Amino acid sequence: MISITPKAQATGSETSFESKLDLTNLTPEQVALDINKLNLFYGKKQALNNISMSIPKGQVTAFIGPSGCGKSTLLRCINRMNDLVDDCHISGEINLHGNNIYNKHVDVAELRRKVGMVFQRPNPFPKTIYENVVYGLRIMGENNRRNLDEAVEKSLRSAALWNEVKDRLHESALGLSGGQQQRLVIARAIAIQPEVLLLDEPTSALDPISTLTIEELINDLKEQFTVVIVTHNMQQAARVSDQTAFMYMGDLIEYSDTNTLFTTPQKKKTEDYITGRYG
Amino acid sequence: MNKWFKSGSPWIWLSAGGVSISLISVLGLLWLIASRGLSYFWPSDLYQFDITDQNGAKSVVIGEIYDREEIPVSQLAHLNLQLDPNQEVLERLLIKTGNRELVSLDFRWLLSNYITKTEKPKEIAVVERRTHGNFYGYIDSVVLDGKTVDQSELPKLLERVDAFQEQIDELQKSDIGAINYKLERLRLQKRKYQLDNELTPARQAEIDSETEILKQDYEKLEAELMGYREKVARDHIVMRAMDGQLVTVNFEHILKVTFNNQLNVFQKTGMFFSQIWGFLVEDPREANTEGGVFPAIFGTVLMVLLMTIIVSPFGVIAAIYLHEYAGKNALTKILRIAVINLAGVPSIVYGVFGLGFFVYMVGGSLDQLFYSENLPSPTFGTPGVLWSALTLAILTLPVVIVSTEEGLSRIPSAMRHGSLALGATKAETLWRIILPIASPAIMTGIILAIARAAGEVAPLMLVGVVKMAPNLPLDGNFPFLHLDRKFMHLGFHIYDVGFQSPNVEAARPLVFATALLLVTIIVALNMTAVSIRNKLRERYKMLEH
Amino acid sequence: MDKLQIGRHISGQFNEDLERVINNVMHMGGLVEKQLIDALAAVGQSDVNLAKQVLSNDYQINAYEVSIDDECTRIIAKRQPAAGDLRLIMAVVKTIADLERIGDEAEKIAKVALESFSSSQQDLLVNLDNLGRQVLEFLQASLDAFTRMDFETAIKIHQMDDKINREYEALMRQLMTYMMEDPRSIPQVMTVIWSARALERIGDRCQNICEYIIYFVKGKVVRHTTAEDMQNL
Repeated sequence: MISITPKAQATGSETSFESKLDLTNLTPEQVALDINKLNLFYGKKQALNNISMSIPKGQVTAFIGPSGCGKSTLLRCINRMNDLVDDCHISGEINLHGNNIYNKHVDVAELRRKVGMVFQRPNPFPKTIYENVVYGLRIMGENNRRNLDEAVEKSLRSAALWNEVKDRLHESALGLSGGQQQRLVIARAIAIQPEVLLLDEPTSALDPISTLTIEELINDLKEQFTVVIVTHNMQQAARVSDQTAFMYMGDLIEYSDTNTLFTTPQKKKTEDYITGRYG
Repeated sequence: MNKWFKSGSPWIWLSAGGVSISLISVLGLLWLIASRGLSYFWPSDLYQFDITDQNGAKSVVIGEIYDREEIPVSQLAHLNLQLDPNQEVLERLLIKTGNRELVSLDFRWLLSNYITKTEKPKEIAVVERRTHGNFYGYIDSVVLDGKTVDQSELPKLLERVDAFQEQIDELQKSDIGAINYKLERLRLQKRKYQLDNELTPARQAEIDSETEILKQDYEKLEAELMGYREKVARDHIVMRAMDGQLVTVNFEHILKVTFNNQLNVFQKTGMFFSQIWGFLVEDPREANTEGGVFPAIFGTVLMVLLMTIIVSPFGVIAAIYLHEYAGKNALTKILRIAVINLAGVPSIVYGVFGLGFFVYMVGGSLDQLFYSENLPSPTFGTPGVLWSALTLAILTLPVVIVSTEEGLSRIPSAMRHGSLALGATKAETLWRIILPIASPAIMTGIILAIARAAGEVAPLMLVGVVKMAPNLPLDGNFPFLHLDRKFMHLGFHIYDVGFQSPNVEAARPLVFATALLLVTIIVALNMTAVSIRNKLRERYKMLEH
Repeated sequence: MDKLQIGRHISGQFNEDLERVINNVMHMGGLVEKQLIDALAAVGQSDVNLAKQVLSNDYQINAYEVSIDDECTRIIAKRQPAAGDLRLIMAVVKTIADLERIGDEAEKIAKVALESFSSSQQDLLVNLDNLGRQVLEFLQASLDAFTRMDFETAIKIHQMDDKINREYEALMRQLMTYMMEDPRSIPQVMTVIWSARALERIGDRCQNICEYIIYFVKGKVVRHTTAEDMQNL
């Protein structure tokens, strides 16, 4: 038995080749989002219980958990999509750059430009591919043709879609396949250069190959953006994320780096969930 | 049998039966209207009947066969006719004889057993006239400037007259009409100054001089017109009627002279189409029983378009508010129910409302404020095309609201969320995403509104339709579109011709022809809207989720 | 078995697969244990027949290894086990490899019995027998701990290897002395050295098995760890 790792690292669980972050003790520069004692109620029903976590910058953080555990709800809190739900009350704070996004004078539209979101089903607008990508830019008042062209190419390249659609930018986006549509939606979201990209089960409506393409894309995206992904597919969370949070019944049960969570979870609920046992 | 019921095929038969009945009704309706209506345009044969009545008196009748019917002898008993007692039914013919200056009625009934001889002489001519209806008879002579000329000169002379008539129409309608309009406006301006106590001598002089100039122009045109009239009235023809009387018909009154019995099938077809064309583009004559229906077509289409322009934005805006902004509470629900119920209110009630509110209240106030110089004769305070369009817009508003709301609620929330998540505000999302996607549903609402509005007659009788409008609501005089004018409408035209005209028998084919035209126009309007909707639908079609 | 919580998966099929694997590992362990007992007995009693039987039975162990390996591969491919299940499968795969090697070592020991020893050399074998009993004890304890996935026992018996190593070194020195005293006995002594070496290796592999148990239960890799660190787990 020959140890190829240096002796210093080859002790205990420190054998991991990747450097790990201490999630409970991040420096302010490392934090993209800081969620602090977040409670959410739908009417009288509490959907999130006192969630506190720090989401590190430039990494992929996954939320997993059974249906109805609040992971999508938590994700939607981050760009305030829950504002659209009637009688939804929130207490606690989510800090982006140290500013609470639930402050009264926060411009929600402005916030959503910084925190982009991609939904479960591909939802391209019934416009051309080009117009889909530049939608956010046009909203922001950008109408310079050259800038728009540049943004389209850049976003589509980032979304690994450029080569497939460059010859039909002015055809309807609805003619694309499901996987292409989802990548188009991602391109649309990154065209406005958000800081955080929220992905709500982005591959649940796609076939396995498209899923892999998207996963590969997520891996590339973390170079530029902080990515938060909700997924039902545990293997997917294991594959694409750096950090994983396991949620259950509105509680954050366990939040640690993905490698640890999927090999040696600390909480029995987590273990039961990811190994497919009765809870 | 039980098994047959369980298999579900009875329901298939039942539903198929329902479809068949609807289809047959629609096709039957169209066939009836089309056949009755179109036969009006086909040049019919002209007959000469020799008649010997029961007293042995002989006479000749010339005319077209309009109708045939079998009547039971018992119904004729009161006429004290000597009839074959074994005969139970008799055939009788309705003959259009025209020649209104000789006999009071255009039509007469002939019992077929008095007819001794039926002929179709080639020489019988039918002369269509501007007044007094058709004249049937033989051409006795053609008189050119007092001298009798050969009958073969007739077509040439008619052509010459046609050219003059056209110029007369042109003069009357545009040039003289324009001068009259300007004179009227000058008069009104003067009156306005008087009312406002601003009629300075300078203004008075200015207006007077303008009036003078216009009057001179008018007199010049008048003279020109008279010149044409004289030229037209130079010639006449002498017709011999069925009883041998000679009647002089001046070219001034002649529209067309045709020898129906000399025409072959192709010529008849040509005539058929030219008659249809005339029906579409000509003005009505003889209390609407002759001539075309152009003003009615124009009025109908213009009113429907105006209505569409008014109802679409209002309906769409109301639907957007109800669906997007109004709180989801009891008040909204009540509003929605109220809107739906509004669609069930009888249309005549809208007519009454339009008359009371729009015409008297709004129109009356408008007149007080802006058209006081015209009083006591009202401008907007009287039924007109604007009020008709507004009344129908209110009538069709629920349809547009309901179908727009339906369309809005069918848009997947993913579209909204997608746009909002890109930093768009609610208004931006509405304008850039929601409305374009909902546009097919909005178009559906507009289609339904058009279909409903084009068919409404009852409320229009209160708020703007007239039997005969002197001017179209659209002409060459500033401001071109005269919303205060009354207008003609095909639906009302049908009612008027069919029930109010002095000569119901003569007008019956015209009723069908007009009905066919109304149906065609509504279908055309609908088809246009449907094709726009289909294009939009294709463009904004959602992927099947 | 209770600690494994194998029976609690929502997928009954998965439960059955895992149970089958564990049962097979136990069978394989039993077989390996029997081979070692037989080999040691053959050497102690110079029983050539028993030795031959040990040699001929080795194929069964190999067959078990192959089939369990297969089964584990299939479970990974089909179930993508995570956390405890993943660690269990990894522990099993490694354990059976070690068990198979133990089987091979037992074979090597049995081969010693085929050699003829003079009576003066019999006391060499007595020493070997002593080492053999300790190793056997270690193997049995390890298999027992594996069966129960007993973390505490595993840590405790993990130390037994040190004792075996000391015993082995003592035996080596003794055998060296023999060879120096009587160069003619070198071939026989070499045979004994090989089997002693084999027993020592078995001890190492038993230690490995203990480490796998610890890995499975705690999720910590304890290879290359000092004894003190291990106590702190």
